[in-house]
Amino acid sequence: MDLISLYPTWYEPGVGSGWVVGIIATFHVLASHTSVGAALLFAYLSHRAYKEDRDDLLDFVKKYGLFLMVFTYVAGSITGPGIWYSTTVASPNGIGALIHSFVWKWATEWVFFVIEVVGVYMIVYLVGKVDKKTHMKISVIFGAASLATMIIIVGILSFMMMPGKEAWFEDGGYLNGFYGTNTFIQTGMRMAFMFTMTAIVGGIVVASIKDPAFKKEMTRKLGWLGIISTLVGAALFQWYLTSVPSQALLVMENRLPDYFGPSILIVLAGTLSYFIITMLQPKLLVAGFAGFMTVTFLVAGLWPEETARESMRKPWVAGQYVYSNQVIGRDVPGMDIKSQLPIIEKVGILKAHPFTPDHLKEVNAGNQIQAGEFIAMTYCSNCHSPSETGIRPLHRYFPQDITQERMESYVRGVLTTGNIAYMPKMPMIESEVQSISAYLVLNKQGGQPAVTAAIQSEIADRERALVKTVADDNVALLPSLQENK
Amino acid sequence: MDAAQIAEVTQMMYALRNPAGVPTYPIIFVGLGVLTFALHILFVQLMLGTSAITIFGSFSNNPYWRRLAAAMLEIAKVSVSVAIVVGVAPLLFVQVVYDPHWYTSNVLSAKWVIGFIVILILAYWAMYFYYFQNSKNKDKTLTPKSRWSMILSLALMLVVGFIMHSLTSQMLHPELWKTWYMQNNSLDYSGSTLHAYNLWRFAFFISMAVPVAGAMLVTYRRFKMVRADADQAYLSWAANLGKTWIKVGSVISALLYVAWMMTLPQTAGDFATSFWGIAGGVAVISYAVWAQIRLKGEAKFCSYMALPMALVIGLVVAISREMLRYGILNDFFNYNFMDYK
Repeated sequence: MDLISLYPTWYEPGVGSGWVVGIIATFHVLASHTSVGAALLFAYLSHRAYKEDRDDLLDFVKKYGLFLMVFTYVAGSITGPGIWYSTTVASPNGIGALIHSFVWKWATEWVFFVIEVVGVYMIVYLVGKVDKKTHMKISVIFGAASLATMIIIVGILSFMMMPGKEAWFEDGGYLNGFYGTNTFIQTGMRMAFMFTMTAIVGGIVVASIKDPAFKKEMTRKLGWLGIISTLVGAALFQWYLTSVPSQALLVMENRLPDYFGPSILIVLAGTLSYFIITMLQPKLLVAGFAGFMTVTFLVAGLWPEETARESMRKPWVAGQYVYSNQVIGRDVPGMDIKSQLPIIEKVGILKAHPFTPDHLKEVNAGNQIQAGEFIAMTYCSNCHSPSETGIRPLHRYFPQDITQERMESYVRGVLTTGNIAYMPKMPMIESEVQSISAYLVLNKQGGQPAVTAAIQSEIADRERALVKTVADDNVALLPSLQENK
Repeated sequence: MDAAQIAEVTQMMYALRNPAGVPTYPIIFVGLGVLTFALHILFVQLMLGTSAITIFGSFSNNPYWRRLAAAMLEIAKVSVSVAIVVGVAPLLFVQVVYDPHWYTSNVLSAKWVIGFIVILILAYWAMYFYYFQNSKNKDKTLTPKSRWSMILSLALMLVVGFIMHSLTSQMLHPELWKTWYMQNNSLDYSGSTLHAYNLWRFAFFISMAVPVAGAMLVTYRRFKMVRADADQAYLSWAANLGKTWIKVGSVISALLYVAWMMTLPQTAGDFATSFWGIAGGVAVISYAVWAQIRLKGEAKFCSYMALPMALVIGLVVAISREMLRYGILNDFFNYNFMDYK
């Protein structure tokens, strides 16, 4: 059997499927990291509240908890599976690789997640209704369960960049894939940033405190939490960079825009300034300002960070063995996984793909553009939009006057051989090289309207040919029918 | 379909399996999937039923209905949360064993899959909006504000339910996947269409919200009645309403179940008259019988059993639903999930 595990392609022309995943994931990071950080903060504040017999701290926990329930838990608990949904449609084999390796880890995380969600309801609704010792126990269990969800998921996120240990490729074993230097450093880095987010989002709740003295106290508490965690997080990010593959650093240096580095520094400086200003002048901390800072951190801080993490993995999407275009690009003996490249090299991508329509399995003059589009969608569209808009549009990579011959040379010499460091190797048989080249030239020179027109023309020709074949067959059958009469 | 076509579809499903395989016996994941689905759908039905009570009560002039509406809103809020959290588990397990089917179904309707997330967030926030508009009002018999937001919430919940129903239905039609990928002779990469549904099946699962909400009303009364200041007349009214809902709702659901069984695709063979096909319907109707026998009169002690019984009924239906999937994929298409290793 020459078929490989490739699914249909979802093509989103507006922003690209990758960005859809990115938008949902970034929002989820904000919600989930804030929730975990707040859970630990709640445990600390509850401890202080009971030790010092202070109702105002408990009231703050209740208010912040209710705020989290409505915003971050609602959005966070939906965008969590939402990442699954979006990756399922944008990168089914990528998410499949993670799930098939770490299903029990995810199941374990789910158990802690259930405890976490039950915990937030108990924290909020049982304040003042159960004795202090019990409420404190709930706070600690809630905080520990929240942290456990993060630690488990970071192992899986780390695997997306690279398996924990190189031995995983040869020996398998999910712990080899799960734990590694990168996992632990990333856990520390995320914990630091989660406290930063807790401090920033917490500002929205602090803004509503009426008592100036208490407001000042909470502003300072959150301010110090934010300053320390931001500095620690920034330092850990530098350490994190030493734990990623050299290939990832190379991609980061070459592929990320020039403004990436300075913009991260500006966000860090802005965040620190925000904490310092509000600590000095708590009255400046109003809900609008804190909300604005939350959105700023989301858009200018988290978004570039998530984009960088996604870019650095290229050409892989999971475990350094699943390409971003869903093809398995290397052997993993420890998991009995074989590279799919030899099969594609032998039969071509059209015959290897289970969803290739029958009339496109062989390229001919009557289906060249349709087949080319199918190949481009399969191989390229996850990272390069074939439209004018979207993620890294294909047409930008070629000169206007490019010819079929030059395009074929490029496809043959670069794409099928995998000669670009951050691009997958994309094997094609000769007829497929010609087909995708014809499509790319047309896409470059005429854009999507020209491609659509060419495909419609090919379809019309095919239908005409089918009608003629049926008619010819009927004519051929006529004599025998007359004889039977 | 002739044998060659079936063989081609089977070959495609096997090709789509993840080369990493599954880390233990597939039956374990199927079992966990069924169990967690039963829990998930119970809270979905609870959320729909209590939301419906909230809406109905908010438009009623009867003070009992108004009070009940306010109380059930609290249940609805928590039920949405629990339904989402518990729903993650069957989602995980279905992706281990039925990934070829789930992933294909989702990609072919990708826009709806993404829409699911957005619509669900809006639905949940609409419910919270209604709650915050009315939560500070101590007198629960007053006319609530912003009733439109609660109606919107329930409507959006039904939309996400239908999306999920459609995605699940599409999994059962591997013979149509390639056809769906082609629209008007051209490949459709947009994922903008929901391709399959069975309104009877959808209506059945939604209708189970009636007996489940009834069970909640019975439980509500049992929980509240022990307080010294409890309004026993109001609680008895709520419990009697609940008992009626369990009985009438179960009968309606059982009829819809029969309609679903009568409209199964040909690929399901004689599932409707098989043991599990019949067991699902019998389980649903038996809930009415159980309520008639065990919830008669005061029924103080077995009132708490109303919800666990609903879970048991849901579990039988979940097993039946899984056997239907197994029947179509294994018996008709010769796709054996047990050899996924």
